[in-house]
Amino acid sequence: MSGMETVVEEIIADVDAVLLFSTDQSTYDRFEGDERPTIVVGTDNAVGAEVYVPLPLEFAQTSARVRFGIEGAIDQGLLEEDDEVVGLTQSFSESRLDTAVRVRADEFTHSGVYDLFVNSRADSEVVRDVLEVAIELGRKGQKGKPVGALFVVGDAGKVMNKSRPLSYNPFEKSHVDVGDPIVNVMLKEFSRLDGAFVISDGGKIVSAYRYLEPGAEGVDIPKGLGARHMAGGAITRDTNAVAIVLSESDGMVRAFKAGSLVLELDPEEY
Amino acid sequence: MVNLAEQINDVISAETAFTLAATVLVLGLVVAYLVWRWTHTLFRRTGLDDVVEGTTIERGAGRFGTSTAGIVGGLLALSVYGVAVLFAFNVAQVFDTSVFWAQVTALLPKLLVAAFAVIVGFIVGDEAELVVQERLRSVKLPEASVLPRLVKYSIYYIAALIALAQVGVATTALLVLLTAYVFGVVLLAAVAFKDLLASGAAGIYLLLNQPYSIGDEVRVDDRRGIVQEMTIFVTHVEADGKEYIIPNSRVFRGGIVRIRE
Repeated sequence: MSGMETVVEEIIADVDAVLLFSTDQSTYDRFEGDERPTIVVGTDNAVGAEVYVPLPLEFAQTSARVRFGIEGAIDQGLLEEDDEVVGLTQSFSESRLDTAVRVRADEFTHSGVYDLFVNSRADSEVVRDVLEVAIELGRKGQKGKPVGALFVVGDAGKVMNKSRPLSYNPFEKSHVDVGDPIVNVMLKEFSRLDGAFVISDGGKIVSAYRYLEPGAEGVDIPKGLGARHMAGGAITRDTNAVAIVLSESDGMVRAFKAGSLVLELDPEEY
Repeated sequence: MVNLAEQINDVISAETAFTLAATVLVLGLVVAYLVWRWTHTLFRRTGLDDVVEGTTIERGAGRFGTSTAGIVGGLLALSVYGVAVLFAFNVAQVFDTSVFWAQVTALLPKLLVAAFAVIVGFIVGDEAELVVQERLRSVKLPEASVLPRLVKYSIYYIAALIALAQVGVATTALLVLLTAYVFGVVLLAAVAFKDLLASGAAGIYLLLNQPYSIGDEVRVDDRRGIVQEMTIFVTHVEADGKEYIIPNSRVFRGGIVRIRE
């Protein structure tokens, strides 16, 4: 018994901060008044915490969740690179905290994924919505068949000027927002179309069927990815947009910013 | 009603009338209880129970060991029973009820309406306060917290006014006050929201007809750039790292130059 207690005490000894992955008010209240800082991490700030790091997605994996939380906290200047933190989170239980993870803040390479959501031109909710649509599309496919899709989010004016229509734009004079629940179904149908979806900073779907014409030089994306990824990566170099690409061949969702790959997700894991 | 009493007197004897009256009383009791039960079920079925949860009236009722459903049910049951008692009196000819009857029939619905006005006013007021509070939650200004309360008391005031008018209290002075208040609010809102309304009206036209759309190069006044975003109130035009946020009213008044090359 004492052996276990020693181990648990070692885990929580000398930590610089606690990352609390819980939106439970009573749990949060218990941490109030602690001398070491408590950072609440979650998809929304339900407890009204002062120190709060928003999560872009409800990550199913504990490691991914902790990692994104830490990256966000570093980006906001809440943590130093060499801080030791303990993350309190759920791994198996749906409702109560059951896991404590001790990590050094610099244990992960900085991927810039947090930057993707918070410092993009488009609103972070819009990026999140598009990512969710892409994940949903990747998981279900279109009528069971895997589909590919390319979403260019933000800086829509410039993107439109660096692309040309492949056919009539089905979203012309429409007012469809990526946050609308109907969009999932609609995009699933439209994903049959070739070309890219262009989405404005505020989340309006400006166009589908766009053929992107960026200059492709200097784009650093992993070898083996196809034309869709290349086009997506390249447009983010020429404009301030973010590209979210669902691969048709391997089913992965990838995000590009400023010409480089910042995020790679497997839709099956969410 | 007098006719009815006379007719009854003609047709049946005093004892039968008395028995009849007693039956009416018992029946009234049963119907009143059924009405009370029915109110409770109705509240539960329609989800009104959840709506009134936590409002002032529900809390006040809770202090007396009842609930909003209980109060409404009680009121209804009481009026049903009152009608039954009066009817029984009338049948049994205990006293000359015709005058009394006429007065009560005139007053009873009014009292009921007044009571309902108060109850509904309290519930709607509290709910409106909550809704406004929820909407303003992201605005962390102390001044903003006045608004929900203002809404709540305005609704209370109107409810009280309706109730008093029903009972027959002179409400002219209160009504004048209300008119002045509403007029003031409308005037203030018109002045405050003048630009927003103008922009909104122009924005509706722009969004429906889309004379220009995202990606077009335009010039508004002397600002030239690429349209980045159109909302109902403003248009974002970007040029050389500068994003102009132009009210739609200005777009409409000044006209737009679409640049095609």
